[in-house]
Amino acid sequence: MAAFVQLVILGLLAGGVYVAVGVGFGLVWGVLNIVNLAHGALVIVGGYITWQLFTAFGLDPFLTLPVDAVALFVLGYALQRGVINRIIRAPLLFTFLLTFGVNLVIVNILLLIFGSDFRSVTPTYSGQGFELGGIVIPYVRLASLGAAILLSAGLAFLLSRTRIGLSIHAIAADRDAAQLVGIDLRHAYAVTYGLGAACAGVAGGLIAMIQAITPTAGEPYTLQAFVVVILGGLGRVSATVVGGLAFGLVEAFGQSIPGSGSVFANAIAFGLMVLVLVTRPQGLMGRLR
Amino acid sequence: MIATAGSQRRWRRIFLVVGAIVAAYALLAPLSSLDAAQSAGIPLLTDKFWFRIATYVVMFVVLATAWNIIGGITGYAAFGNVAFFGIGAYTTGMLIAKAKWPFLVALPLAPVLAALFAALVGLPLLRLRGHYFAVASLGVGVAVGELVQNIDYNGQPVFGGASGLFLPIYAVGHRGLFFFYLMCGAAAVAIAVTWWVLRSRFGYGLIAIRENEDAAAVIGVNTTAYKVAAFALAAALTGLAGGIFSQWNVFINQDNTFPIEYNVQMILMALLGGTGTVFGPAAGALLLQLLIQFLGGSLPISLDIPFVSSEARPIIAQVILGLLLIVVVVFVPRGAIDFFGGRTRLSLAYLRRSLRETSL
Repeated sequence: MAAFVQLVILGLLAGGVYVAVGVGFGLVWGVLNIVNLAHGALVIVGGYITWQLFTAFGLDPFLTLPVDAVALFVLGYALQRGVINRIIRAPLLFTFLLTFGVNLVIVNILLLIFGSDFRSVTPTYSGQGFELGGIVIPYVRLASLGAAILLSAGLAFLLSRTRIGLSIHAIAADRDAAQLVGIDLRHAYAVTYGLGAACAGVAGGLIAMIQAITPTAGEPYTLQAFVVVILGGLGRVSATVVGGLAFGLVEAFGQSIPGSGSVFANAIAFGLMVLVLVTRPQGLMGRLR
Repeated sequence: MIATAGSQRRWRRIFLVVGAIVAAYALLAPLSSLDAAQSAGIPLLTDKFWFRIATYVVMFVVLATAWNIIGGITGYAAFGNVAFFGIGAYTTGMLIAKAKWPFLVALPLAPVLAALFAALVGLPLLRLRGHYFAVASLGVGVAVGELVQNIDYNGQPVFGGASGLFLPIYAVGHRGLFFFYLMCGAAAVAIAVTWWVLRSRFGYGLIAIRENEDAAAVIGVNTTAYKVAAFALAAALTGLAGGIFSQWNVFINQDNTFPIEYNVQMILMALLGGTGTVFGPAAGALLLQLLIQFLGGSLPISLDIPFVSSEARPIIAQVILGLLLIVVVVFVPRGAIDFFGGRTRLSLAYLRRSLRETSL
């Protein structure tokens, strides 16, 4: 029983990272209709910013998260405004290829700058935790879950309570009508992508505290973000939060199956995704559109 | 800007003649390495190194042409075709290495198994549309590679595991020549199949699905059967290339039979040449693969990129490839065949128009 509870707790804690990775991806996909294959690369850029600030200035990694967010927002805004906006009306394959190209460029530039060595962020409290009724809870994991929930809440607030958030909603509902009522599409698209990238940056900061990163470490996160968003259901931040936590649970239990180890992580994730897509295409929390 | 009928025909003829000469040279030059040709004093027009690159290039002709059947003609953005390449490679590889089958008996099973697998996963996957299909197929590509590397039975890796699978070297004179022509044969089959598909009732059904799937169903196209058949056909051709690759390369593992980049490369090749056409993907494959080899520094004619050390070179090559991907997607959305084939002229106006058509 204790082992079961420990698994549940670990799964939920691991889910924090998936929530953070998923919300930005889901926003870009749901509003702009772009499956952003560069998402994982943006995540890792965030990770390297955190690592750089931590090693160069000894900044607490959690304090670097706002820096990640701002830097990635600027990068994302420029990327959408300068490049991706130019193919918005092209068939979906083009956005796929384009974002893969962006991914390739970012990852290889990171390789040129940082090399392919593993980098990890280890503040004094990393590896420590507290015990609660026989169950071990690591500090970093708990704090990262908290940060991910805060990030999602902040995003949800921004989307529902601010002017730019409402224009993003309007674009998601009907792009041409949004333009008719005077929304500057190019700007609003760029802000949306920028917000998605900012979420990716924060996720990257969290990931750098949990695992050692390399420039190519982001790729699985693109795929996992996709699964998370499908699992929860496209279109709402809260659904992605549920999807992320559910994914963490599935992964924790999948890894505990004897003999499988962690090597089947992708196979389990994608098997689950295909199952959800075929049986419940609107996701666990979604409404039929 | 539409060219006049006369200049259009002239460009087309020039393009065809140049293409035929290049193809004839590429196909016949390797023969100069045969003993008979050597003793007759014919100069050696190619070396072993060239065989390797040429076979590689032709392999991508097969992959891009096969992708075109599901992605270009049917309009389903398959992003995981590398799974079929790997399945083909491992089918042949396992039969040769473990069951000791002769290569030419094992090879036909590669396309068969790849097609069966495609039909099996295609039934649920092809119900998905748009992004969902694209990423689900990408997931299949990743998951199959992972399964192949990690499946154990009684603690022994079934498919060679992380250390890969070694095949005995195929005993044939002029191995390089043999595999080059075998791959060329596969490319010819792929192109012929595409040609046939585009002229058949089956092909018209696929095009109808691409243009409007619901309308196609209404006019009586059995969309599920057509889509699965197209997927399986693409898988069979891809698997054939994989099967040849395994015996040619002698060593297979997850990295060289399930690389995710291949998915993107074959799509980019088809796009570059022109999707939905017979020769477009092949032309794109030649163009892009030669460029990749050139950037990677494996061609004899090579350019020193200034300020770049030799170890940074492959990384720079990847950056250039990524930028190229972006430029092609943004500026040449209908493929280069549009102007090589003489339909339109490559002009600033063309680039500007294609930009305006897709911009926000």
